Amino acid sequence: MSRLQADHLYKVFGRRTDEAVRRLADGADRDELRAEGTTAAVVDAGFVVEPGQIFVVMGLSGSGKSTLLRMLNGLLEPTAGRVLFDGRDLTALSPRELRAVRATKISMVFQHFALFPHRNVLENAAYGLEVQGVPRAERETRATEALELCGLAGWEKSWPDELSGGMQQRVGLARALATDADLLLMDESFSALDPLIRRDMQDQLLVLQQRLNKTIVFITHDLNEAMRIGDRIAVMRDGRIVQLGTAEDILVRPADDYVASFIQDVDRSRVLTASAVMTAGATPADCPADCSCRTVGPDTLVADLCAVAALAPHPVTVEDSEGTVLGVVPTERLLGVMGGLAAKDIEEQEVTARA
Amino acid sequence: MPRLPLGEWVDSSVDWLQAQFSWLFDAVSTGVTGLYDGIDAVLSAPQPLLFAGILAVVAWWLRGLAAGVLAFAGFALVDSVQLWDEAMATLSLVLVATLVTLVIAVPLGIWAARSKTVSAVLRPVLDFMQTMPAMVYLIPGIIFFGVGVVPGIIATIVFALPPGVRMTELGIRQVDGELVEAAEAFGTTPRDTLLRVQLPLALPTIMAGVNQVIMLGLSMVVIAGMVGGGGLGGAVYRAIGNVDIGLGFEAGVSIVVLAMYLDRMTGALGRQVSPLGRRAAAKARAASVKRPGAKLWAHRPQPVTALVGVVVLALVAGGTGFLGGSGGSTSTAASGKNSGHGKKISIGYIPWDEGIASTYLWKELLERRGYEVDTKQLEAGALYTGLAGGQLDFQTDAWLPVTHEQYWEKYKNKLEDLGSWYGPTSLELAVPSYVKGVDSLDDLKGKAGQFKGRIVGIEPSAGMMGILKDKVLKEYGLEGEYKVVDGSTPGMLAELKRAYERKEPVVVTLWSPHWAYSAHDLKKLTDPKGTWGKGDGVHTLARKGFAADNPEVGAWLKNFELTEKQLTDLEAVIQETGKGKEQQAVRVWLDRNPGLAEKLAPQ
Repeated sequence: MSRLQADHLYKVFGRRTDEAVRRLADGADRDELRAEGTTAAVVDAGFVVEPGQIFVVMGLSGSGKSTLLRMLNGLLEPTAGRVLFDGRDLTALSPRELRAVRATKISMVFQHFALFPHRNVLENAAYGLEVQGVPRAERETRATEALELCGLAGWEKSWPDELSGGMQQRVGLARALATDADLLLMDESFSALDPLIRRDMQDQLLVLQQRLNKTIVFITHDLNEAMRIGDRIAVMRDGRIVQLGTAEDILVRPADDYVASFIQDVDRSRVLTASAVMTAGATPADCPADCSCRTVGPDTLVADLCAVAALAPHPVTVEDSEGTVLGVVPTERLLGVMGGLAAKDIEEQEVTARA
Repeated sequence: MPRLPLGEWVDSSVDWLQAQFSWLFDAVSTGVTGLYDGIDAVLSAPQPLLFAGILAVVAWWLRGLAAGVLAFAGFALVDSVQLWDEAMATLSLVLVATLVTLVIAVPLGIWAARSKTVSAVLRPVLDFMQTMPAMVYLIPGIIFFGVGVVPGIIATIVFALPPGVRMTELGIRQVDGELVEAAEAFGTTPRDTLLRVQLPLALPTIMAGVNQVIMLGLSMVVIAGMVGGGGLGGAVYRAIGNVDIGLGFEAGVSIVVLAMYLDRMTGALGRQVSPLGRRAAAKARAASVKRPGAKLWAHRPQPVTALVGVVVLALVAGGTGFLGGSGGSTSTAASGKNSGHGKKISIGYIPWDEGIASTYLWKELLERRGYEVDTKQLEAGALYTGLAGGQLDFQTDAWLPVTHEQYWEKYKNKLEDLGSWYGPTSLELAVPSYVKGVDSLDDLKGKAGQFKGRIVGIEPSAGMMGILKDKVLKEYGLEGEYKVVDGSTPGMLAELKRAYERKEPVVVTLWSPHWAYSAHDLKKLTDPKGTWGKGDGVHTLARKGFAADNPEVGAWLKNFELTEKQLTDLEAVIQETGKGKEQQAVRVWLDRNPGLAEKLAPQ
């Protein structure tokens, strides 16, 4: 069973929302409705998140991604559609039941950290447990563990305003982890941080995820970030999900010009893998006896592949873990990919191959 | 444009409200009075200096040693100018008003912060309450609640409520929306969101509101003094009425001491009780460079130490208060026959000299006859309203039929006239006797240059000002030559005093009897054409049914009479003895006039 499923979700602000939903479902444009004073923030959003996945929703500001996120834990009530969490329809729950779900099963990390300035780090991290009524001793132990997990051991008695932005967000993360919720909602959680610290936090999130295996819905406006951490990515525009797929899907097969314009800035060498650029089934080149070449795996990032190719006197061979040859990567192809031509070329080649 | 009878509508709705809801107003009045009496009893029980010590320890705890020392010095000053009881009465009034205001304002503010509709409805109502001059609330306040502290407290509450509501609403609204969302995202109930997140974060702003409520309450005490609120406000009001600069200053400074203390303490309390404030204070301490001297003065005891200090002082205070109370009860030796049997009688008075003199004369006489007498100083309108409402039994200073005509016309059905005890009074223009050649109104003609063309008048609403402008000036051909300066009675008296001391020529509106004639050497300008009209008599007025309820006192008051010599003598003795010792002065005067007490209140 999927952990989280969004089913034809709509969120419309303003008057006569039901009629607006009907018209949107019939294909009406968001701008038409806006002229009438109704704002459609989310239109017909649907996706499935499996346990242990990091699901990223990417979009520019105003695309409805934050509204979508707030419907997932019931902070906003959908105008239409359902949110299924472990098979339970959250939209059908009473406020009390919904609060119980939020307290124990779903936690949230905010863009500007949202730490309580009148509580110290430990009290902040223990907040969710305090709401649940966990006894002080137990909640402090669990909060301390969560803080340790986020690399904040020894900072328990400090105050939020004494910490740097990155550390504050670690407290925010610890607060979310302390309740041991299954689902983590992260609302542009790293956007307010400096680029270096942001990258650091992304790495740490990935490391934590390997240990804890949570289900995470992550909102961002930064496609690089989306591709770095997302198992699956939904690209939103004007309230609708325009493309849903893996990072490679989006990079290699952008659904429309809008997505294509986005991926121009993406560092493709850190997203694309050897399997995406190799000529599948090609025979490896003859190798001299004392050749300096190495083979690579199919999941090797193009960036790393370049380093290998630079030392090899011939195209690099791609093998799986058993040593079976999957294909080769000609150096020209590698250069083409780096030059940004790749997506179309590969597309064309694949089309020809299929035909 | 047709005249909208807005005032009449309000007038009749006040009457209607009083008729329909008198039980409610009585209940409110009883509740507020009880609260006030309780707090006042606690505050004025300890020895003044001990209580000043308690307040100083609190200041030491909240703000440091310097604040504690200053607080003690300030309250010791209040005690030394003999305004301690008044200050405690005022403090009680402010505390009761603040307490009630907060009980109403904070929930209203929370409600307004949560609902846009409530906020939108409240805003104009609060504006109305705050901008309506507070004096306007007093008269309906007296009609509903009777004279005394209650209308003062109610007017203070109405006046101080808006900032309390506004600051609470503002404080909650300015809490970062993301924090509230964070609380909700972790499943916090709305009630807990309010208690754990919104209120703690709004607390500094709410405390600023509390501070404003207290300051507005203190600014109202003088106005409350006009309706019998007593305390420092009463002292200020009496000082204004008698141009007593010394008393005015002492009472004013005492109010300032209270205001400073309450302001600084609520400010510090705001920092102490809110975690956010404590955090900010800790940061400031860490940042400030430590000087050894400053450290001593900024030293603050641990809360426990402070608490122990306060408790010890309070116990001592309680002990001495108990002993002092049992040992020092001054028994007013009731000489002669006790015919009053402790019956309670309440006298109201305007702080005019003949009013004070006759009121304290009767207080002394009635107490000698075994009555229990309570006196209340009031503004004229409040006095008549209180008398008509039956909260007062009688007053001795009604100038009838001219000066107080409007009050008499309004309330004559609810009052009974026990006759005139002094008269006739007269209205006149007066000049200092060093001004030569001016003895009658006729002599003023052509001398405008000498008096700078001015006649120093009193309140433009006063009856004598109308007679002066419309009749006197016309008849003597002084129109155009003299300008009548509108002002106030204290203003006129101050101007007279100033000119008198510099021996400058001045002409003022005055009336007899008036203490100014004994204080300064003045000439009444004769009125050969009789334009001022016949004078008033000073009447004793009682509430309807008083004489029937108290036939003995009624008979005494009906026969009450003083000559001009007796009255001015009594006034002079009171003036000499000093403020706050009126009754003592009356005793001295009665001793000098043997047999008079028997004559005024025969057994």
